[in-house]
Amino acid sequence: MAEKFDNLEEHLEKFIENIRQLGIIVSDFQPSSQAVLNQKLNFMISGLQDIDKCQKQLHDINVPLEVFEYIDQGRNPQLYTKECLERALARNEQVKGKIDTMTKFKSLLISELSKVFPEEMAKYKDIREEDGPS
Amino acid sequence: MTEMFSTLFGQNEAQGPPGSSSLGFGPGKPPPPIPQNQVSMAAQMPPQLVDEGPALRKSGAMNEPFYLLRELPVGNELTGNTNLITHYNLEHAYNKFCGKKVKEKLSNFLPELPGMIDCPGTQDGSSLRSLIDKPPVCGNSFSPLTGASLTGFRLHTGPLPEQYRLMHIQPPKKKSKHKHKHHRPQDPLPQETPSDSDPKKKKKKRDDDPDRKKKKKDKKKKKVRINV
Repeated sequence: MAEKFDNLEEHLEKFIENIRQLGIIVSDFQPSSQAVLNQKLNFMISGLQDIDKCQKQLHDINVPLEVFEYIDQGRNPQLYTKECLERALARNEQVKGKIDTMTKFKSLLISELSKVFPEEMAKYKDIREEDGPS
Repeated sequence: MTEMFSTLFGQNEAQGPPGSSSLGFGPGKPPPPIPQNQVSMAAQMPPQLVDEGPALRKSGAMNEPFYLLRELPVGNELTGNTNLITHYNLEHAYNKFCGKKVKEKLSNFLPELPGMIDCPGTQDGSSLRSLIDKPPVCGNSFSPLTGASLTGFRLHTGPLPEQYRLMHIQPPKKKSKHKHKHHRPQDPLPQETPSDSDPKKKKKKRDDDPDRKKKKKDKKKKKVRINV
């Protein structure tokens, strides 16, 4: 999987470097550099062709839209990953707390009900044991 | 009190299940009198109880003395009780992103990208969002430019006006430990282009680099010490 990203990355880097060199040529143009400019323009088109060919390998890759917002704001997209992981952990802890609280409540309720209704709770436990361990 | 509970269910067995109010009784509380219309309804109810919905347990008789006893939900092995980050082997990723400080700017993630990339994309119309909102025309094939179409790219000689020179302004490139070792293609720039910007740039970089200045000073000091 990393190979298809490496391939795309390589093509993108070559393309960007070509564009950068185009920019340098154009910034202070000389008549003798016309041939080179034409060559660079055709390199740009072949670069786009190569990048277009890469899309077949990457059609199953999904990128969350929120990452685009980070990039558009000029922020590091790794911050999105970081915030996702932090939110996941916080939510995990929150749900674990709820589960623990409910488990304690259940055991307390059963113990108190057993004190008040011992026979009925014994029957209830028998019925639940028939169903199988929960 | 418990005898009242069981006797209550024993009495109401023929008549049907008691109303919900009788379940919430306290010790010593008699059940409320069932009105006449509810008695007749209760008499009709037992046959209907046998045909329960899927959420309830099989038959009312098996569940005595409990009414509307539901099946327990199917236990899911993976719940919030488990540390999901460990479960999905994301500890390394967590330590990498949350353990260390992640730099804020986009240029820290892409240090070798030329141009001002830390500016918001909306300012210069280069946002990715606009690419989704207004997707470009795709499907046409890429064909190289022929001689006739290249005539449109004949440029005037001389430097660009100041306002169009922005692409050469780059943020300072720090040597960061990048995963992929980039081999920047060092295409030799043609000798025919006597562009002054590159050597000037190199000179400027050398002069402006503060680290270089410090190193030079240190070297000079060392030389002086050795001579002494």
